[in-house]
Amino acid sequence: MAGINLEALAENASRLGTRLQETISEHTRDLAITRGSGAGYLDTPEEKVKLIRKQLDSNSDREKLDAMKRLIALISKGRNVSEYFAQVVKNVASHNLEIRKLVYIYLLRYAEQEPDLALLSINTFQKDLSDSNPLIRAMALRVLSGIRVPMIGSIIVLAIKKCATDISPYVKKAAAQAIPKCCSLDPSHQPEMITVISNLLRDRSPLPIGSVAVAFETVCPTRLDLLHQHYRRLCRTLIDMDEWGQVDLLNLLVRYARTMLPRPSVTEDADGQHEEIDPDLKLLLTSSEPLFQSRNPAVVLAVTRAFQYLGLPSETKKVVSPLLRLLHISSEIERVTLAYILLVARSSPTLFSPHWNSFIVRTDDTQRVKKDKMQLLRLILSPDNYQALLREFTYYADDADDELVADAVQAIGYCARLIPESAQQCLTSLMSFIQSKHDAVVANAVIVLKSLVQTSLHHHQTLAFASTSSAYSPLAIISKLAYRIEDIRHPKARACVLWLVGQYAAVDTSLESHRGPEGVAEWAPDVLRKAATFFTKETSYVKLQIISLAAKLLVLCPSDRTLGLLNRYVLSLARYDLNFDVRDRARMLGSLLSGVTSALGEDEHQDLEGVVLRREQVKMVLFEGKQDVSLDVTATDNGRLLLGSLSAVIGREVALDSYLPEWLEEGVESSLRDSEDDAPQLPIAAQSISSTSSPRAIAPSSRNTPVILTPTGPSPSGSYVRQNGKNNWTDLDKFYADAERTEEDEEEESEEEEEEEEGEGSDDGEEEEEESDRDEAASGEEPETDSADEDADENAHILHHAR
Amino acid sequence: MAIDGLVILDNTGRPIIQSGFRSSPPAYPILHIDALNEALSKADRSVDVDPVLYLHNPGEGPSACCHVKRGELRFLGLLSGDTDPLYVFAFLETFIDILKDYFGHLSAETLKENFDVVYQLLEETLDAGGHPSTTSINALKDIVLPPSLLSKVLSVAGVSGLTTLGTSSHPFASPIPWRKAGVRYNTNEIFFDMAEELKGVVNKNGTVAVSSVWGKVHSNCRLSGTPDLLLSFSNAQPLTNCSFHPCVRLQRWTRDKHLSFVPPDGKFILMEYNYTPGGVHHVAVPFALKPLIKCEENGGTIDVTMTSRLTTKALENVRVELYLGEGTTTATCIATNNASWNFDPRTRILHWDIKAVSASSTYSLKGPFSSTIKYVRPSRAFRVQFEIPQHTFSSLKVDQLKMTGEMYKPYKGVRGRSTGDVEWRW
Repeated sequence: MAGINLEALAENASRLGTRLQETISEHTRDLAITRGSGAGYLDTPEEKVKLIRKQLDSNSDREKLDAMKRLIALISKGRNVSEYFAQVVKNVASHNLEIRKLVYIYLLRYAEQEPDLALLSINTFQKDLSDSNPLIRAMALRVLSGIRVPMIGSIIVLAIKKCATDISPYVKKAAAQAIPKCCSLDPSHQPEMITVISNLLRDRSPLPIGSVAVAFETVCPTRLDLLHQHYRRLCRTLIDMDEWGQVDLLNLLVRYARTMLPRPSVTEDADGQHEEIDPDLKLLLTSSEPLFQSRNPAVVLAVTRAFQYLGLPSETKKVVSPLLRLLHISSEIERVTLAYILLVARSSPTLFSPHWNSFIVRTDDTQRVKKDKMQLLRLILSPDNYQALLREFTYYADDADDELVADAVQAIGYCARLIPESAQQCLTSLMSFIQSKHDAVVANAVIVLKSLVQTSLHHHQTLAFASTSSAYSPLAIISKLAYRIEDIRHPKARACVLWLVGQYAAVDTSLESHRGPEGVAEWAPDVLRKAATFFTKETSYVKLQIISLAAKLLVLCPSDRTLGLLNRYVLSLARYDLNFDVRDRARMLGSLLSGVTSALGEDEHQDLEGVVLRREQVKMVLFEGKQDVSLDVTATDNGRLLLGSLSAVIGREVALDSYLPEWLEEGVESSLRDSEDDAPQLPIAAQSISSTSSPRAIAPSSRNTPVILTPTGPSPSGSYVRQNGKNNWTDLDKFYADAERTEEDEEEESEEEEEEEEGEGSDDGEEEEEESDRDEAASGEEPETDSADEDADENAHILHHAR
Repeated sequence: MAIDGLVILDNTGRPIIQSGFRSSPPAYPILHIDALNEALSKADRSVDVDPVLYLHNPGEGPSACCHVKRGELRFLGLLSGDTDPLYVFAFLETFIDILKDYFGHLSAETLKENFDVVYQLLEETLDAGGHPSTTSINALKDIVLPPSLLSKVLSVAGVSGLTTLGTSSHPFASPIPWRKAGVRYNTNEIFFDMAEELKGVVNKNGTVAVSSVWGKVHSNCRLSGTPDLLLSFSNAQPLTNCSFHPCVRLQRWTRDKHLSFVPPDGKFILMEYNYTPGGVHHVAVPFALKPLIKCEENGGTIDVTMTSRLTTKALENVRVELYLGEGTTTATCIATNNASWNFDPRTRILHWDIKAVSASSTYSLKGPFSSTIKYVRPSRAFRVQFEIPQHTFSSLKVDQLKMTGEMYKPYKGVRGRSTGDVEWRW
């Protein structure tokens, strides 16, 4: 019985509960409608705006909140509401967190315009810096540093210092974020801020590090030496940081590595290639490699940058599949990633050759993506994949998008030039394009054919294609084009054909049975005849070529009467053309030809003055000097475009604020990077390594068996320090002495050098010192120890000498 | 290397929300908005506007505007200097995800209703120097309260601020950045949704030029405390090129392809993968298209048949699109069965919609179209989009889900669905 009763009771209770919930939700809906929800704030009528001042002064939190929301709404509509500053500042100390947040947002926007009033609120913020809620501490600092009044610079410095030592990593992060603002407010605080940064770098929590890296880049980008001690730990922390921090820190570490670490070297000998890489550089690469699997494209790119600019050539292939993955995230990201892939492919095209089918152009791709894909396909064209790519190009030539058609046809021409075996195939498809009904296809095919023919004829090489089949000898192509002149409507293409006909119309008539005028290919005069008929309807671009054609043919065969007449007809039409270029060309060619025509006794004009050229001379003028063909080259990259920069994406240099330092010949001494963290017995280091396999807080048991993600092994220098303990490490003299001893031979060499340079002044001495420093750096890796006395002697000698 | 600010535009191109551009002149955002609107109005297809719109503003130095369209809203990230546009897009995507999580769905209306929350979110996610700061949703919810029924009631009662102070006193109190501390649920459950998309291109002769399957494992976690999960698949080998939520222990995956993680609370994407079956080069396309298109003068005829290659399941919401070329004015087609078609004279795209193509059935569409241009040039490929519910191309199966760290027994749900976007050339 009791059970049943209980059940019934529970049922009733739950029913009551749902009923209550329903009524509450209904009521609130009503309330929301009557009170005006958020959307209402955005359409505040003018009379309400006038009320804001009063509401802000009222005692009720609700009124104040209402007023603040209205203000923020006005801000988002683009109105300037700085007139309420005085009233808003009063509410800075409100107990209501929501009001406070809105006040903060307001203050951040207008504090700069009202510095005097803003100063009123500073006391409150200073008090808030000691609030128990980390959220309030962080926000107070954020607003305080956002008030751009130089007078309070020192207060901000104090606040940042205070927050940088806060227990909450969130507040520390806020402190790091405030540093750049403080420095831009008053650059004189820079030294103090650098101290704060180097303190923050020591922090164990991964949360603030990203912001510290940002602060570092803005405040003291050149002080990379501050990172020595933290480099290894930062590398290991990478994986535990938030995504944005990873991007910022990786970019910083890449810069550090380029400046401070030795360049990885590749040497070749009998056994093949040997690659040598500094353990510290290796550490950076191995600890960033798992981040290729990040869901954030910016992180993937940052890792790609690291591998591209730091990694060994054999490791660059690791960037391929992550980059290909990015292509599928969204169309915008695809667009940007393609630009970066292009950049990588330019330096090593073979990387992407096997993946050509990832770049197949789809009809729904955007214009820009199509263009980039075509460029990429051209870049990765190789004897292995040209068959498939040619099929693709031929297919694209049929597309409805004229730009894609142009790119595709040009790519076929490029392929013919690049891969001789493909030439035959390329020419077949190019010739078939000429039959196409669509102007864009024909025009581009003609232009490409022209440049192919020109190259082959110019180099007097029977291009591979010429020898394989007589149907595609350059002259055969020209004659085919000449026969189709009527179907080729695109002005540029027509001009091309006319030029080709004129330029290569000369034939050796003695060879074969030859019809038509002597010395001219049989198809050439007919082209001129057709062109002359349509002369008046052509664009001036084509007209120019018709005049040239007429002149060339006449020079080749001055005896032919028809040609002479055609020439005269064309020239007289051109003389009265509307375009002055055409008129000029006609006049110029007319007088040039006067020698040729007068020799035939056909000259009707009065005697000419000045120099009259003979036929051979005119021929020289008209035909020679058409030397090099400008190949359609892919956009050349001068190597200054960098992965991960706007310049690379839009294809031109916009600003040079992103740069990659050149490698140093040798890195700095690796023992500089030694720190207590490296000692394996310390729990901290073990923890930071193991945290990749298990979050610290959840599985404390895993600390006992740390799983080492990056088993790079101790660096030689690291082991040296560890073997000798800390006492030896601090003994600088002895340390130097060791170095000197082992590098004695080299020292002697440099001594000799120095003797030669001795007369040149004191600067040399300093150089020498630097040089010996570097020698010491190199020798620091030797784990030998010698007796201290001897070393000290030696050391003194060397130092003396260097001075 | 920084984002200058963020602007959200409504569908008429007017800004709804702008972050404060503190380091730039007031006209700076307006300049970009105008430039974008102008570029959009000029372009034939709005997608052809370069997503990275470069602006050379005299005197100001170069800058660019990265824009993303989601629904009716357009999100703009402005950048100056040599900032990586990918960084900006990554942030925009993250911010959009945050907004979706906070407000359910995105529309100008919801953003206007909750503009104060959006401003607070902006303040927290993008610091004044233009670097993203807190973007983990679980951590954000400690700092900025999502709009809820409760907060509405309280705000009406006028006590909102006090409760906020109480609940969010410890941002980042949780030792795990992606998970809130002290989560409690009455029913402990976790759902995995495997969504796969087939992207492919089929050649004229019906051979597959390229096809790849990209999958996402969406999760919805409603588990109390801090559970530590171990998810194993029965056939994980063909999954390559994966990316993971930060909670996943990458090392475990590299070792034995098991997903070991402490999940964030709520919805998240656990992993993304590329399915590449071993041996076979391409994933098979689940339908066949037989297109017959004749281009004549001033028009042509279309005759397409579609056959499903699936044996048990049906293809749903199939949409076939063909761009008929410039100058096309009309098309009159006959579609069999319960399929519908229409021709949009503005975009000149012919759509053919079939609600469901049941297993091994055949549908066809026939008809002439006419054009003002003598030689019509329709697009050379059909675009076919479809869905297959309760199906995955990879037939990925969850083998088991082990939980440690908590005592209760969670309810597990696994589901699969597939979509496809195939280009069929003719």
